[in-house]
Amino acid sequence: MDLATSMAVAASGMRAQTNRMRVISENIANANSTSATPNGEPYRRKIATMQSDFDRELGATMVQPGDPIPDQSEFRMQYDPGNPAADKSGYVKLPNVNPLVEIMDMREAQRSYEADLTVMEASKTMLARTVDLLKR
Amino acid sequence: MSISPAAAASVYQAIAKIGTSSPASSAAVAGSAPAAPNFSDFLSSAVKDATATMRQGEQMAAQQAAGKADVVDVVNAVNAAELTLDTVVAVRDKVIAAYQSIMQMPI
Repeated sequence: MDLATSMAVAASGMRAQTNRMRVISENIANANSTSATPNGEPYRRKIATMQSDFDRELGATMVQPGDPIPDQSEFRMQYDPGNPAADKSGYVKLPNVNPLVEIMDMREAQRSYEADLTVMEASKTMLARTVDLLKR
Repeated sequence: MSISPAAAASVYQAIAKIGTSSPASSAAVAGSAPAAPNFSDFLSSAVKDATATMRQGEQMAAQQAAGKADVVDVVNAVNAAELTLDTVVAVRDKVIAAYQSIMQMPI
């Protein structure tokens, strides 16, 4: 049943976007998480990943959320001598999270989710309209 | 969703057998057609299939309430149940309409 399969594939896409949304919310929530010790590392931004995965039972390529990978870019430095995480020269390492980038990622996840929803809706309408043929 | 193809196939088989058996047993009245699966058999198997899908939808909803299932899975299962029920009801209406038109045939 191809239409039912397309609905299942769209559902896997929605699940993957949900996972991405979770990673983005972790990044935004930890945008100011510093370490508690002078030489420790602050929160490191995570990047959500996805992998395509062929489902033999359905005979279709689904999408699977992968493990988030750490963003290796530089931490931000801020002069704050009173902070317990400050080094000898008084600088504190802040997370490499850029709220603008996160908002952009979030929008993209939102739009992808909506696209999957539209696919699901269209498949369901096609199925229902076909069954409607029996009713007259 | 595996219901609709199965239901459709069994309907088709039932209808195909009805078509072939009636000319063979020409004078024999409708009551004595032993091999062909009768309407109630078909209906009960279709309903059994449908209830299985409905039950899955129900189970998913319960798991979601318990915080174990994804909303997407629940929507998928309930959608499948809805479409299956729709198909079974439509087929039943069709068959009953056919039965009624036969019963109203003037002899």
